[in-house]
This record gives sequence, structure tokens and C-alpha cells, in this order.
Amino acid sequence: MIAIIPVDHFLIMTLYAVLVSAFFALLWREGRRERWKLFGTLMASLVLGGLAVAWLMYPFPK
Amino acid sequence: MSETSLSVRTRSPWLVAVLAWLVPGLGHVMLGRRRTGMAFAAIVTLTFLAGVSFQGRLYSVEPGQPLTILATFAVYGSGILNLVARGLSDNPGGAILSPTYEYGCAYLLTAGLMNLLLVLDAWDIATGKKR
Repeated sequence: MIAIIPVDHFLIMTLYAVLVSAFFALLWREGRRERWKLFGTLMASLVLGGLAVAWLMYPFPK
Repeated sequence: MSETSLSVRTRSPWLVAVLAWLVPGLGHVMLGRRRTGMAFAAIVTLTFLAGVSFQGRLYSVEPGQPLTILATFAVYGSGILNLVARGLSDNPGGAILSPTYEYGCAYLLTAGLMNLLLVLDAWDIATGKKR
């Protein structure tokens, strides 16, 4: 199978965050403004949370 | 009477649930939520295709590996996407040595679980538990 997305850990994580955030924003909220608000909150939480966990794991590479 | 409420009344919840599982987003489209259904379809399909592209595993139940039961349930949640991918793939077990294998598995499991949530959501709308 040909890879359609470059192998970049941050890009893959960010794409995952975009898809999951968009999904739950559409599922849990009604109205454009409320959906964008939840999307932003989830997106920021996932990406910043991922970076925080990565930073905490830095001393333990294996 | 609005288009949505008319659709909800005339659709069997079981039919909606089965079609929502088979084709991501179709349940919401059947219930008159066309734009939301199309958006759900795009999100679930893109997530699933990314998982296949990352060479993730289309899980099957393995004896002695009880967690594969849960993973198989999740992957089969993608409905027709999973069935077609299994039919077309020459390696449904994924490429475990690929650097993106774990990502692929996460994407595939997530796509299936998202679609299962859509089935439950469509059921709630069809039965009037959710507006």
C-alpha cells in the first residue's frame, strides 16, 4: 500500500487530533459557533497533551 | 412538520442502525441530517484510509489473545470499509515492521469506534431520544 501521508510523527498526531476533534465537535454540539469552540478545545488538548507526554517521556527513550 | 421529524417517524430504527453501521454517515443522511452525515462519512472514511495507508492491522480474533476480540469488534465497526479493505488487501495483518504500524492500528481502531458511536447516535435520533 502506498503511503499517502509522509512519515512524520507530529504530522500524524496532528492529523489524528484534527479528525477526532472534528468528529466529536459534530457529534456533541449543535450550531457552528459551539462546534468550532469544542473543536478548538479538543484540538488544543490533544496536541498540547501529546507534546507534554512526549516531553515527560524524553528521559526514557526505550 | 420539518423534514427531519418526518424522516425520523418513517424510518425503522433497526434499518437505520444497520445502514449506519454498513456505510458511515448513512444513518444521519437517512434521518434528514445530510450535511452532518456527509461530514461524518468523510471523517470516518479518511481516518480508515489513513490507517490502511499507515499499514495498520485489520484485526481478527486469535486464540489465546483475548484482546484481539475487542480489537476485531472495533475494526469491524467500520462496516463496508473494513469488508472491502479485507477483500482487497493482500496483507490484512498489517506491516508490523513499518514505522507507522502502530499509528495505522490506532487509526483503524478509531475509525471503527467512531462509526459505532454514529450507529448509537443514529439509533437515539431514530427512536426520539435525541433531537
